Formats: sequence, structure tokens, C-alpha cells
Amino acid sequence: MAIHAAAPRRRWRRYGTSYLMLLPFLGLFAGFLVWPLANSLYLSFTKFDGVNAPEFEGLDNFRHLLFDDDRFRHALGNTFLYVVASIGIGTLLSLGLALAFSGSSWPHRIMRTIFFLPSVTSSIALMLLWKWIFAPGDFGLANTVVTWFGGRAVEWLATPGLTIPILVLMSVWGGMGYGMVLYVAGLNTIPQEYYEAARIDGAGTWQQFRRVTLPLLRPVTTYVVVTGLIGAFQVFEAVYIVFRGTNNIGGVLDSGLMIVPYLYDQGFTHFKLGYASAIAWVLFLIIFALSMVNLRIGRALKEL
Amino acid sequence: MAAAPTTTPIAAGPAAPPRRAPAAGPRTTWRGHLLRLPFYLLSLTMIAPFYWMLITVFKPVTELNRQPPSFVPEHATLSNFYDPGYSPTRVNPGHLQGIFQRFQVDFGFGRFMFNSLVITVAITVGSLLIASLAAYVITKHRVPGRRLIFVLIVASMMVPWQTTLVPNYVIMRNLGWLDTYQGYIIPALAKAFVLFFLVQFLHSIPDELIQAARVDGAGEWRIWWRIVLPLLRPALAAMSIFIVLAEWNNFLWPLIIVQSDEMANIPVALARLNSYFAGAQHQGAIMAGGLLASLPSIAFFLAFQRYFTRGIVLSGLKG
Repeated sequence: MAIHAAAPRRRWRRYGTSYLMLLPFLGLFAGFLVWPLANSLYLSFTKFDGVNAPEFEGLDNFRHLLFDDDRFRHALGNTFLYVVASIGIGTLLSLGLALAFSGSSWPHRIMRTIFFLPSVTSSIALMLLWKWIFAPGDFGLANTVVTWFGGRAVEWLATPGLTIPILVLMSVWGGMGYGMVLYVAGLNTIPQEYYEAARIDGAGTWQQFRRVTLPLLRPVTTYVVVTGLIGAFQVFEAVYIVFRGTNNIGGVLDSGLMIVPYLYDQGFTHFKLGYASAIAWVLFLIIFALSMVNLRIGRALKEL
Repeated sequence: MAAAPTTTPIAAGPAAPPRRAPAAGPRTTWRGHLLRLPFYLLSLTMIAPFYWMLITVFKPVTELNRQPPSFVPEHATLSNFYDPGYSPTRVNPGHLQGIFQRFQVDFGFGRFMFNSLVITVAITVGSLLIASLAAYVITKHRVPGRRLIFVLIVASMMVPWQTTLVPNYVIMRNLGWLDTYQGYIIPALAKAFVLFFLVQFLHSIPDELIQAARVDGAGEWRIWWRIVLPLLRPALAAMSIFIVLAEWNNFLWPLIIVQSDEMANIPVALARLNSYFAGAQHQGAIMAGGLLASLPSIAFFLAFQRYFTRGIVLSGLKG
């Protein structure tokens, strides 16, 4: 017994500093991520208004969410539409930009900076700016341009059919610079010899692109698409700032309602915190599934 | 600890992407420019909104109300920032409060800049320090459980942080941290992606450097402070840019925990401004706020562009 008792103590002395150094990170990680995560799972099975103690209700929240809640179904549909359109268009444009401006000459660098600018600008400021651009009447830039071409002023933000296209436009405009930077980095890792070899074999520009560039960029594409999808599912500011009405978060007829704005609405406007937790777990499952696709993490685990 | 190098070569990081031959390829030909024409046009649509913001900021109220709008401010003014002709006690058409006069808090908009600055600096420095400590232990100490810890932390990167929004709000309320700086800062300190990135980086640093310091009798804290941190400098620089931009622009968490105007950060202050005032005559002040919110982060990016690109590349393509 004595021998067994001594070993852990010596071990503790040996690793005491190590654990002490891990403590700040692990403590905060446990307190503000692991515990809240477990807690939100529990709350998703309860009715909780933030004042009275949570009341266990089993699967009621999820049942209601998936089968009875038209607003949630609508939010989910909007989100999928928005995500697919914005990531599809955004990725193509990112690749195009990278192919066009991958050089190190100053015109290329300036173009890259211009396209990257929205990625570092305050997103709230950008959303306020978009709201001003799409202002009704002739105040806004959008309607000014429309009238140049003989069109009539459009009620951009009050037309339900335009909500998702405008959200996609804002997302693509703001995000393509980021994808471009990743693609440029990917392009720069492709050895020039591959292209020389392809040329010797008689490959044209298009064939070089199809047979060399695209396959070698596949890991970058996976990364750009998956992280883009994950980010797009979490869209909030665009809806909250540009489309929120006085008593409705999702814009006219909820045409811009998405998952996170709905979560916020249920949790922090109506104080249905249990229900909001259930929404949060649906978001979690979607993003978890996407992350599993992201092989990056699997590869990282192998390294340790 | 004599031999411990304080200025260590930076070369120890993950291999930089191989440099291409000077000035990648030949100059762009006229045909190349023609092919790029759609993208040049597209770049105009990138500039136009920023230009629109810039001119709006300098327009006086009368010009903001004009239809169709002007494309160069005809009577440029700074009154959207501070309007000297404005008086809160008498009606004065043509004058509106500038952004620094609109909130009933000391220093007006300056207070929000200050809040954002405090939060951003504290979270950046704090999260880098605690993540580097943990990353050092995970990569360079043979402490039992390190693999499990790392796997847990990496797995947590798959959790959208909104999932923890409700419980964290409840925690903040129970601790009495709503509307406080610690409510902003402390929950944001343990950043899994920072730890993940630093671990990746430290793996490529030879263990011998640390062994040598141990032989020289340096303690673990001292090794962390004098050797690991300097070695991590490029990685820390890359990470700090991500953290600074994210925290400076953070919105949803502050939106939930901030109650008073005094404790708002810039994004929350802007959102409140937006919901109080909608008409065209207020846009000058709102855009002035947007410009003040954006300029620091844009300047920061332009100053550290090199690290930024490297950070994106390392976090995105390596691993």
C-alpha cells in the first residue's frame, strides 16, 4: 500500500507545475464552454423563462420546433437557401479573383487589398452602410443607380422576394476577399514544374487548369467551402441590423429570418430560454456534421 | 540561466510556403488586363460603398435630405462628428447632434471607443498568455492526460459558440457580471483555435532548445516566459490580429450582456443608434460612427498585413 501511495504523490510533485500551467486555460474552458454546453443541452429539455427554475419537459421543445413551429421551419429554409447561394457564388468568385490576382506585382497586391477590405471592416458599420445604400426613395445609392438606367425606385428592404438575394449579395461582397487570400496561398504552393510538364505534354491553358490547378487546390476548396458554410449558418448581424422591423426580427413576412436571429428572438426577446437552447442544439448538430467533413482536424489529431 | 537565448531565430516555425520565382510570372499583358476586366469592374463595386460612406459622413443635413443625392459633398462639414450649432434646448432646423453629442454618457462616442479598446486589449493579451502556457505544456511536457485534453479542446472547435449563449448569459447574471468589463473579458479568454494553432506551431520547435534551458537550471515558468514566448512571436502576432479584429467587432455577446449605454462597445452603440434614428438626416452621424468603428481595424490590418496573410495561410492550409 505504502508503495502505491508514494508513486502518485511523487508524480504530482513532478507534474504539479505542468498542471498549474494548464489550469488557467482548462478552468476557463471548463467554466465557460464545457459546463455551459452541458447546461444548454439540459435546458433544451426544459421550459425556462430565466426567472423561475427550469421545468423538465422532455422532448417537448424539439417536438414543437420540428413539427409545429412554422417560423422555425421558415428560418431553416431561408438559412439553407442563403448558405447554398452565398457559398456557391462566393467560392467561384474567390477562385476567379485568386487566379486573376495571385502575382506579387503591385497592381495585384492593390487589387487583393481592395477585395479584402470588407473582411477587416466593422461588420455593423458595413450593415448600416448597406441599409443606407438600399434606402427607400431616391436617397440611396441603389435607387440612384436604378434611376440612371431609367428604372423606378425599388423598396429594396420591404420586398420579401428581394431579402435573400440582398443577404446573399452582402455575404458574397464581404466574403470573397477572404476566400481569395486562401486560394492565392494555395496557388503559390503549386510548383511551376507541373505546369511546364503539362505544357510539354501539349496541354492548353484550360487543360492545365482542369488537370493541374483544380485538383491540387482541392484541399483549399474543401477548407474554403466548409468554413464558409459554418460561418454562413451563423449569420446574425445582417438580419438584425438590415432587416429587423420594429416588432419582428426577420424582416417583412419573416423573409430574412435565419437560425441565429431566431435563437436570439426566442431567447432574449421572448425569454424562452429553454426553447432557445433547443434551437442552439439544432444549430450545433448542423455545424457538427459540417465539421466532421473538415478533415483538417482529423489530420491534426494524428500529429500529437 | 546563462545560455538561454532571448533572441531566437524565427525560422523555427512551420515551413513558410515555398517562395516562387521573383515576381511570379511575366508582367500582365494587355490581353491579361482585358481578361481581368470583369474583375476590375467588380473592384469598383467594392470601392463604391466605402466611398458612399465617406461622402455621407461629410454632408450637412440639408444635403443628406436631397433627392437625388450628390456624389461630392458640396458643403463639406464635420458636424456629423460634432455639431457646434446644435443646441439641445431650442429647435434649430438644419442642425443635428454629431456622433459625439448623441449619447448621454461622458465623452460620448469616445467612451465606446475606450470600452472597445479595453476589451480588445485585455482579451488579446490574456487569451494569448493562457493559451501559450497550455500549448507549452501540451507539446513539451510528458504530462499524463495531455492527449485527451488536446482532443477535447480541438473537438470543441466544432461547437458553434451560440450554443453556449443561453447558459453563459445565465452564468453572467448569477455572477452579477452583466454590464461589466469582466463579463466581456473572462468568458472570452479560453480560445480553442488559438491553443490549436500554437500547439501546431510549437510542434515544429525542437525540444532541445527547452531541454538545454532545463539543464541550465531554468524553471518551467521562466522557460515559458523567456524561451517559449519569444519563439512563438510570429504565431502570436498572427493570432493577435485575428483576435483583435474579432473582439473589436464583436456584437452578439455584448448585445446580450450590455444594459447601460456606458458599457456598450462600438458595435452595440452603433446598433442602438440605428434603432433610435432611421431618417435620412441621421445617416451622416450614423456613418460617422461606422467610420470611427472601422478606421482602427482597417489601419491595424494595413500595418500588419504581412502577419495577417500568414496567419490565414497557416491556420487555413496547414494542420
